[in-house]
Amino acid sequence: MTASPPADAEGALIEASRSGDPGAQEALVRRYQDRVYGFAMRMCRNVEDAKDILQETFLGMIRALPDFRGESRFTTWLYRIASNACLKKHRRGVFDPEPERVISLDALMPRPDAEGRKPEIPDWSADAERALLRGELAQQLEAAIDTLPRDYRIVLLLRDVEGFSAEETAEMLKLSVPAVKSRLHRARVAVRQQLSRYLTGEAGRPGGAPASGGPAEPFSRGGDQTR
Amino acid sequence: MTCRELFERLSEYLDGELSPELCAEIRRHMDGCDPCINFAKTLKATADLCRRLPAHRVPPEVAADLRAFLTARQPRSFTKSP
Repeated sequence: MTASPPADAEGALIEASRSGDPGAQEALVRRYQDRVYGFAMRMCRNVEDAKDILQETFLGMIRALPDFRGESRFTTWLYRIASNACLKKHRRGVFDPEPERVISLDALMPRPDAEGRKPEIPDWSADAERALLRGELAQQLEAAIDTLPRDYRIVLLLRDVEGFSAEETAEMLKLSVPAVKSRLHRARVAVRQQLSRYLTGEAGRPGGAPASGGPAEPFSRGGDQTR
Repeated sequence: MTCRELFERLSEYLDGELSPELCAEIRRHMDGCDPCINFAKTLKATADLCRRLPAHRVPPEVAADLRAFLTARQPRSFTKSP
């Protein structure tokens, strides 16, 4: 995640921008254009749409700056504009090749095998770290995020990629905090499954678990391990 | 606490959003439940990896187009010098 600029320097820039200082407004755009572009690219997945979102976001920012009173962080305020632009762009499309689907937590939960044995969940966290450092994992992770339905993708991007809190994300998207938490969890579990398949080479098995032939009981047959 | 209950609350646990009592219950469950421990580790790794995704850079031509766009629409607000 791109680091945020120091708060006091940003405050001065915002104040100058609000007063109509053209140089300050331009500096503010330059300061955040990379981050907003990255967010837009991950939401829309093509340069032309990301360009439109970038332009709409910063035009909106400049026009609405007189109304920014500092009740939220500037980045929260800016990303609310960017998020709205992303979500509006998606709705405007006449043909949406990706019908919105719901991520089912049930479907992603590892299952016991046919004999009722606990699923084997490999711990690939250290492998992932090494793969990331070798430059092998970023593309897989981006591809996994790409597969998320839009309403889950935007929450994962705002929370885990951009680093906003659950409360800020809820404010930006006009959702409840519990809704943000629920979507984030489902998005993470879905992305985790994709990464697991890549890192363990076990395609088609949720979380790398053995294939289940039994009833849909999480982790163990005949009721969960209650501890 | 069951595996299912833990599974449903895992993100909240990893994000420090649960009460100390619930966290203690989760830790008690994980103590000895390898599937849950490993699922938690890999879910945490997933979130951590997202935080470390490389930043995008605006391509120069997109940045130039953005500047031209804003200059055209907010002529008093944007400098016209290249």
